[in-house]
Amino acid sequence: MSDESIPAEPPPIWKRDFPYEAAAEDDVTRREFARYLVAGAGVMAAGNVGIAAWTQLRKINTGEPREIVALDQVAVGDTYLFSYPADDDPAILLRLGDEEVVAFSQKCTHLGCVVYFEAEEDRWHCPCHEGNFDTRSGAVISGPPPRALGRIDVEIRGGAIWALGYQP
Amino acid sequence: MRTSRQAPRTSSAIVVYVIILVAFQVFLLTVAVEAFAADDESLAWTTATVSVVLAGGSAVLYRYLRP
Repeated sequence: MSDESIPAEPPPIWKRDFPYEAAAEDDVTRREFARYLVAGAGVMAAGNVGIAAWTQLRKINTGEPREIVALDQVAVGDTYLFSYPADDDPAILLRLGDEEVVAFSQKCTHLGCVVYFEAEEDRWHCPCHEGNFDTRSGAVISGPPPRALGRIDVEIRGGAIWALGYQP
Repeated sequence: MRTSRQAPRTSSAIVVYVIILVAFQVFLLTVAVEAFAADDESLAWTTATVSVVLAGGSAVLYRYLRP
C-alpha cells in the first residue's frame, strides 16, 4: 500500500504528450469511496427532510366543506367509503342512527393500513396489527396505534351528509 | 506523531465510521417512511434532524480523510 502522507505530484510532461493509463489508475481510492458515501448520506438526509415536509403539508390540509352522499343511500348501521380531505385520503363514515353519523380517516395511525367497521364487535378494526378503535370517538381501544383515528366533522344538511373538516 | 503505517489505518477507520453513519441513515429513512405512513410529523421531523446531523458528521469525517 502506498504512503498516503506524500502529497500527489503533478503528472510529468511526457504523460501529457503520451497519455498512458495503468490498470490500477481506474481503482477507486479510499477518499473517493468515502466521497460517494458522504454524498449518499447527504441525499438521504435531504430525502428525510423532504418526507418530513411532505408529512407536515398533508397535516395542514384540513379539507373544504363538501357533500359526501345522500342520507337515504346509507342505511342505519352501514358504512360508506369516500375520500377526504384530498382525493387520495381514504375515509369512512358510519351511520349510527337516523340523524347520527360519524366519519374518520380510514388510515390506521400505526402504519397507515386501512381500518374497517366490525359491526359484531362495535369497533373500528385494523387487520394489519390488530389495532382497535372506539366506534364513536375513534380513540384507541387496544393494539399498537399510538393515537386516535383522524376525525372528519360531518353534518346532515337537507337530506345529504356533508364533510365539514378534518381533524388529524 | 503519525507514521507512514498509522496513516492508512486512520484513513480506514474514518471510512468505517462513515459506513456506519450511512448504514444508520438507511435505517432512519425507513423510520421516516413509517412516520409518513402513520402521519406522525413529530417523528418525521425528529428523524430528519438526526439524519441531517449524521450527514454533517459524515462530511466532517471526510475532511479528516487524507487525499
